[in-house]
Amino acid sequence: MTTRAEKALAASAARHSGTRCVALCLVSTAATGAGLLLPAVLGRALDLLLAEAPATRWVLYCAGLVLLLAVLDACQTVLTGTVDARTAAWLRGRLTEHVLEVGPRAAARFGPGDLVARLVGNAAQAGTAPAARAALVAALAGPLGGVVALALIDLWLALVFLAGAPVLTLLLRTLARDTSTCVARYQEVQGHIAAALAEAVGGHRTIAAARAADRETARILGPLPELSRAGHRMWQVQGRAAGQAVAVAPLLQFAVVAVAGVLLARHRLSVGEVLAAWRYAVLAVGVGVLVGQLAGLAQARAAADRLGEVLAEPAPAYGPRELPPGPGRLELRGITARRGGRTVLDGVDLVVPGGTTLAVVGRSGAGKSLLAAVAGRLADPDDGEVLLDGVPLRELTHDALRRAVGHAFERPALIGATIEAAIGLGPAAPCPARIRQAARTARADDFVRLLPDGYATAVADAPRSGGESQRLGLARAFAHGGRLLILDDALSSLDTVTEAHITGALLGGGPGTTRLLMAHRAMTAARADAVAWLDEGRIRAVGTHEELWRDAGYRAVFGEPGAKETP
Amino acid sequence: MTEVGIQRLGLRFLRARWRVLVRLACWSVLETGQTFLTGYAPARALDEGFLAGRPATGLCWLGIAGLGVVVGAYGTARVYAAVAALVEPLRDRLVARVVARGVREGDGGALSGLTQQVEIARDTFAGLVMMSRSFLFTSVGALVGLLSLDPLLLLVVAPPLIAGLGLFAASLRLLARRQEAFLRADEALAADLGTVCPGLRDITATGAEQQIAAATGARIDAELRAARSLARWGVLRVAALAIGGQLPIVLLLATAPWLLAHGVTTGALVGALAYVTQSLLPALRNLVHGLGTGGSRLAVVLRRLLRDGSGQQDHGTDERDRPPSPAPAPALSLSRVTFAYGPHSAPVIEDLDLSLQTGAHLAVVGPSGIGKSTLTALVAGLLEPRHGTIRVYGRPANGPDRAGLRVLIPQEAYVVTGTLAENLGLLRPDPVPEAELLAAAEAVGLTPLLEALGGPSARVDPTALSAGERQLVALTRAFLSSAPLALLDEATCHLDATAEARAERAFAARPGGTLVVVAHRISSARRADRVLVLDCRHTAYGTHEELLDRSAPYRDLVGDWTPVPGGRSEPALALRDTDGLDAVAGPGLTGDGRHVVAHGPAGQVQAPGDLRDRGALGGEG
Repeated sequence: MTTRAEKALAASAARHSGTRCVALCLVSTAATGAGLLLPAVLGRALDLLLAEAPATRWVLYCAGLVLLLAVLDACQTVLTGTVDARTAAWLRGRLTEHVLEVGPRAAARFGPGDLVARLVGNAAQAGTAPAARAALVAALAGPLGGVVALALIDLWLALVFLAGAPVLTLLLRTLARDTSTCVARYQEVQGHIAAALAEAVGGHRTIAAARAADRETARILGPLPELSRAGHRMWQVQGRAAGQAVAVAPLLQFAVVAVAGVLLARHRLSVGEVLAAWRYAVLAVGVGVLVGQLAGLAQARAAADRLGEVLAEPAPAYGPRELPPGPGRLELRGITARRGGRTVLDGVDLVVPGGTTLAVVGRSGAGKSLLAAVAGRLADPDDGEVLLDGVPLRELTHDALRRAVGHAFERPALIGATIEAAIGLGPAAPCPARIRQAARTARADDFVRLLPDGYATAVADAPRSGGESQRLGLARAFAHGGRLLILDDALSSLDTVTEAHITGALLGGGPGTTRLLMAHRAMTAARADAVAWLDEGRIRAVGTHEELWRDAGYRAVFGEPGAKETP
Repeated sequence: MTEVGIQRLGLRFLRARWRVLVRLACWSVLETGQTFLTGYAPARALDEGFLAGRPATGLCWLGIAGLGVVVGAYGTARVYAAVAALVEPLRDRLVARVVARGVREGDGGALSGLTQQVEIARDTFAGLVMMSRSFLFTSVGALVGLLSLDPLLLLVVAPPLIAGLGLFAASLRLLARRQEAFLRADEALAADLGTVCPGLRDITATGAEQQIAAATGARIDAELRAARSLARWGVLRVAALAIGGQLPIVLLLATAPWLLAHGVTTGALVGALAYVTQSLLPALRNLVHGLGTGGSRLAVVLRRLLRDGSGQQDHGTDERDRPPSPAPAPALSLSRVTFAYGPHSAPVIEDLDLSLQTGAHLAVVGPSGIGKSTLTALVAGLLEPRHGTIRVYGRPANGPDRAGLRVLIPQEAYVVTGTLAENLGLLRPDPVPEAELLAAAEAVGLTPLLEALGGPSARVDPTALSAGERQLVALTRAFLSSAPLALLDEATCHLDATAEARAERAFAARPGGTLVVVAHRISSARRADRVLVLDCRHTAYGTHEELLDRSAPYRDLVGDWTPVPGGRSEPALALRDTDGLDAVAGPGLTGDGRHVVAHGPAGQVQAPGDLRDRGALGGEG
């Protein structure tokens, strides 16, 4: 399946620059042809010149070929660069759109860092495939033409070359093999330094306060001499391999020239033909370049494979229905969801009447986050149905669904150039007044105004703690509006006073909004209209917090979080 | 760092390694010899051998050329070693810089600098050295060869070669600018995707897919435009190559009758053509293609790695063990301290006065974001107040030698891969005696972990410890430091109430020890003999009982957890203001917050930048 996706991807990528690829194929083949012709013409011109015969025509031919080669080279440079860039951009655009359509599933499947690597690095690598493939005929024709031309001048020349060629290939292969062990050692030492640095970056405040930066730096750099040694060894091995490799091609050329010279002495070849043979031997040795090109193509294909994997991840489909007017009644019917072979949610039935608040509590790993995701269709269940005011979520259009449901998260990712843009993220940005109102409700207004540029502060420059991020995420959800608001542990990093203010505003926020809260704290659960107790993926009980509190098992859900850390 | 600055640094770097350069030149001369023979030996082979009817002489000359190849190849192998002697020291320096900056600024970007950018710099620099050296020595070999065959040949070949090089040199800056524009566009795209991919869940949740697709699409287009412009300007390289490398072929043919008439032999003519096609053209091609791309890439990477110079090194370490002044000055005094993050932003802390005597125990409480950590950062000298003065034992808080006076234990515990003893002795100049170490462990409550690990010499893997265990290690280390003023900034937030109480009591009981605790639980405030309440710029200061009477915000903070059903007397997390971490978020969650944590089955993943310690600005305010 992946291979098919990869092939389809490669095909449409090539089609995207179809004309250019054809042009590139023609240009590069023509350049190779001209390159193969030049030694013969050069030899002929030289012979005529040496014989003091009229040679102007042949010299002009030569000049013409050289000029043609330069023009073709220029075309090839521009075409290759453009096709590479266009293909990479096309692939990136296509993949970005797809990844955005797939949504959180893509990040869960591949990991965000890997996705970035695929979209940036692999797309660039895969982008070189069409141009490389278009130039492949030419790359193949060069060395092959060189051998044929040698044979045409004299069969002996081709034979000498072919006899020496296996040595060439053998030595070229040693290059790759030798280096791998010292590269591994180098990377290992580098890994040690990187790991120590990562620790120090995490403990930066401790180090800075102790003014121990120099000492810590010296400690982390302890393995540096070892890294240096491994590095030197790498170059040594590489040098040895390179020394072998660079010797082979010229030796092979001189062997051909020697045979050509002997043939010249026997008057079977002219001086021009010796020169031509020499050039053809050089062209034939270009087979090493071909090997590199094939390796590059293989790499590009592997990269395209990785892009194909991303494309093969199906995007959720949206339905055609709009949402009828309603109070925001949320209904979960027989929700079962599996992740990585484990049943995380197992036949969950829940009803949240319109305008009320349901808190969902449960131990870590009970499935609360997945429940929150399913309830707002950030994930689809394997079984069961989620309905909002009687309409299954998967039958709603994208816009109807996202307008109706707002989310806030434990660790929101804030996306946007400025704090204001990050709060207003959405298809239609809310007006500044609404953004500020939402920030006030989320108790974020105060600290945003302390930032260097207030709401215009760049997100990246804003120093934020977990609690501050959460409040910005809440502000985003409030500004977004909608009839269903899902808070997935979105208050967990707030101090109790701030949390009390926010939940007060939230629960007193008037009718028209249904709220689903994933909660860790008893206090939060106590404020909800009802509590659903989730245990191992099933609803164990639903009731008010007071009712449930009588159950020791329920109380244990709110047990001391630190208790397990120190016996 | 500017272009000129980098060039100057580069020159200084090379000048300091002139010996290596000489070695490089010596081994490269072997390659020059090989190049010389490439044209000269076949020319003699033709003239004196094959054309003179003495094939044996011809073969002999070619044999010499072959020998030259072997010797040249030996030279090539040795050249690599010499290049290593240039490249590896550069790599060492860059690694040292990147690590120093990462440690100093707590910049997580240093990691990619270490594993990627430094390696790019290393490879590119090696490539540039190899290439420019190869061009230099090959062209010298070819030109000397032409001169030896016949000076007239040099007259034909040299002018176009110089013209081509001139054109290339003139276009170099232009090409480098295009190359840089491309690299910048590429980085902007990567940075954009770097925020989009970790935020996919949030984008889907807000329905902003199209908006984001359009924004990223614009970055992709910008990168495409830069790449196309770069490709088009590449024609200049082709032109330089055609003039410098290919025009001489035509010129040699065109002037052949004249050359032959002026005594140039057949062999010399063939040799000249060989020099041009076999040596000069490939060397020029490598130079033209490599220098434009590699040069600007190296410049860009170096500029990034070397930004803000070698700069401020701190010198605290060697003075840390100086004993604190026995003067009767208060342990900590703040007078009219005001702090704001930006010149235009409202102050986080305004006109704060505070004085603590030696042996005092202060708890700082207040809602999240109010400035508690900012206060500890100010006292620790990590931040500078806008106005006012902060004195620690009578000395300005930000002086270079203050490390010996106070120790800050932040929420994110610093534990390094190494032995437990190394970890605990990190703030001490010399190894800590084992008895003292064990006593400290016992006082703070580390003993169970110490025994479980297998004693002070056991190796510690920070990722294998729980967040609470890491905090215990950090607390014990601080306990062992000689600094009399300890600042616990939510340093016990991952401990349970009992363990927290034990650790705090241990610090309070240190002889001559003064303690400031940013409280994590209300019990911390109860234990302290003074409480500072920070709330919306109204500060209150007093004992627990006084504040219950006087301060409404304090009553709020204390009272808010009491109505919890079931009448729990000791709420966890009542005053929590975590740095993006939740102690109950799940198993495998380490306390430093820089890990990509798959939280929950839906696999929501945290943007690393979102969680990381916010550097000098001090995380939670």
